[in-house]
Amino acid sequence: MGVAALTAEARFRAPLVVVTALVLHLAVLSRLRLFGVMPDLMLLLAVTAGLTGGPSAGSAMGFAAGMVVDLFLDTPLGLSALVFTLVGFAMGTVGTGILRAAWWIPVVAAFVASAAGEVFFALAGYVVGQTEMVTARLALIAPVVGLLNAVLAPLVVRMTGWALARPGVPRAFVG
Amino acid sequence: MAVYRRPRRQRFVLLLLVLTSVTVITLDFRGEDDGLLESVRRGARDVFAPVQSAADRVFAPVGDFFGGLTRYGDVKAENDRLRSELEQARGELLRQAGADRERQQLLELQQLTFAPNIPAVAARVVSDAPSNFQVTVSIDKGSDSGIAKGMPVVTGAGLVGRVADVSRTRSTVLLITDRASNVGVRLQSSGDVGVATGEGPRQPMRVDLVQLETKIVEGEPVVTSGLQQSVFPPEIPVGRVRSARVAPGALKQEVTVDPVVDLERLEFVKVLQWGSRP
Repeated sequence: MGVAALTAEARFRAPLVVVTALVLHLAVLSRLRLFGVMPDLMLLLAVTAGLTGGPSAGSAMGFAAGMVVDLFLDTPLGLSALVFTLVGFAMGTVGTGILRAAWWIPVVAAFVASAAGEVFFALAGYVVGQTEMVTARLALIAPVVGLLNAVLAPLVVRMTGWALARPGVPRAFVG
Repeated sequence: MAVYRRPRRQRFVLLLLVLTSVTVITLDFRGEDDGLLESVRRGARDVFAPVQSAADRVFAPVGDFFGGLTRYGDVKAENDRLRSELEQARGELLRQAGADRERQQLLELQQLTFAPNIPAVAARVVSDAPSNFQVTVSIDKGSDSGIAKGMPVVTGAGLVGRVADVSRTRSTVLLITDRASNVGVRLQSSGDVGVATGEGPRQPMRVDLVQLETKIVEGEPVVTSGLQQSVFPPEIPVGRVRSARVAPGALKQEVTVDPVVDLERLEFVKVLQWGSRP
């Protein structure tokens, strides 16, 4: 598992960050809506874990974040876990090339990955019978989630960098 | 050597996690309401409930402030609307007393199943759906308070939705604007029945099955039909007609209805302990 690649420090920190993010996601961010759309912090954890820790860390963090948030959704259990796992892996695969890039590139990466992740989530839901997830409103949800997650990205990338105990946090965010 | 092993291990991790996710999705689909996964889900919601309540108390002002900023135009427009409605309401109050008596007589005449004194559980709305794909709210009462899946949820103004999921201390309410929500309704003046389907947050509901010849007035009240096997008791206010039109070649009218309850700012609701009839 991806967990095997984590240091002892990270094995303690990563669950702490996932639970903290869950509390923020459920109690705070669900109230902060732009055009009725809230940011998706749990998806952003997967994105930033991929960027800072690589494909294994991204997929493992995505799986954990997705599975815990699934417990509080009425979509099928495991749906977010599946989507976030794949998004985390994808970001880990492309992320290694942009770690030392300009500060705005990871922000843009968070925007694109989050927007794509929402579309992917809706399509995956459609495939498993949640047909009401694919509507014209998706054209609003995807870019707004991308935008809100891009705003949160500098903070969350530090969180996941700390959680994974990786020195590989993008330099742009370190200062 | 490690250079070549690493991508293979990454792919193995990915495969394992994807397979686990797919297995859980499959088990969740096949599981019953009292199955293992559902129990885990309910347990997690109960365990998390006190944390969520505490966080909610701390962060509610932040959310309200942010919400006020993004809805400033709506709030101002609503304030103006409420002022004019208050004036109208004062005038309608006297007429309403007679209408209520008449309605009660009609109910008795048609022998509808609605009992005016349905037991109800008051609950506080603790959070919105943590998702952009569902229009639900979480309330602070669950099965310990006598709430069960499917029960109607109302405010003093009218219908809010129905209970979609219950744990011991929490319930999830599917709002009438959710796309998965269908409510059997009756147009109050014509008596025509139809089905009101949610179209998403802040969107009017769409009412299907209304006959072409039915005369519909803008602003006409729409109530639950309460037909046999309906999830909702009859005569609960649902909304007011926003528009009605007939598309060329259509066999039914296209009617849209604005919910009578302000679903964006729910604070307290009542769960009616009323089950669907066999």
